[in-house]
Amino acid sequence: MTQAMLHSFQIHTHARYFRLATHQTFWQSRIVNSDPHLWLKDHGDYLYRYALSRLHNEDLASDMLQETLLAGWRGFENFAGQSSIRTWLVGILKHKIIDHIRLDIRNRKLAESVENDPTSAYFNENGSWSEAPSAWQDNPEELCQSEQFHAVLESCIGKLPEKQQIVFRMRDITGDDSDTICKSCDMTSTHLHVLLHRARLALRMCLQWNWFGEGSRS
Amino acid sequence: MKHACKEISRLASDSLDRKLGLWEKLKFRMHLFICVNCRNCDNNLKLIRNALDLIEKTKYGQARLSDVQRDQLHQTLKKNTGC
Ligand SMILES: [Zn+2]
Repeated sequence: MTQAMLHSFQIHTHARYFRLATHQTFWQSRIVNSDPHLWLKDHGDYLYRYALSRLHNEDLASDMLQETLLAGWRGFENFAGQSSIRTWLVGILKHKIIDHIRLDIRNRKLAESVENDPTSAYFNENGSWSEAPSAWQDNPEELCQSEQFHAVLESCIGKLPEKQQIVFRMRDITGDDSDTICKSCDMTSTHLHVLLHRARLALRMCLQWNWFGEGSRS
Repeated sequence: MKHACKEISRLASDSLDRKLGLWEKLKFRMHLFICVNCRNCDNNLKLIRNALDLIEKTKYGQARLSDVQRDQLHQTLKKNTGC
């Protein structure tokens, strides 16, 4: 038997065991987990944190959680048992949040053109830095403790154009993946990367001036 | 070969979001090797990302539904599902 054949044989055997295992959890979860009150008790805080960290609004986060639990109860037939009930509920919540953000962006008609590159301001015509970035001495742990730094950071993020703010917050603060952000914001991944580049360079500059730069904290 | 710092800053940003291609990675590494400005920029961007990550964890890591919110949710569930 060749190595490749052996390998494919192992995969097939493995797949069969896997299917068996999920089949068992399938029935178990059906019996245990169909009560939305129980979901609220077991996963409510987790789902709430997930929503809150993306929506930054307690009432809205609670509303989204409510809709998720109801949608989960109504659509429980669709729960195939391949994942845990928590993962399944997070999936529902995630879609609700994406829809919410997408609608919000449409309603506010936020757009940012790809032309007129604002990052040109930081570079000379030959593409070298017009103001050299310096080495920053602080470490993340110390920065995280400083209320002052939080304030400077928040004000710097607040100065970004709105669409940059939205994608930057989703990506670097919430930690959503590019795919989710592109869906929420109706944009291509290239456009997303352009916006993130602009946001990060602007934020770097703002922090250089207001926090890390020489004399900025004297 | 010297690539413009502007182009490299885009790669520094992109590397936080996607895997750079082989050629991109080579171009990026070689430029950082010779350019202290871009090295600083790259480190600055990483520092911002890491600090934000820590701040976020401390900010929402402890968040819980309030008792009032929880009660309301139970009531709404009862009303809409009858159980
Ligand atoms: Zn450079």
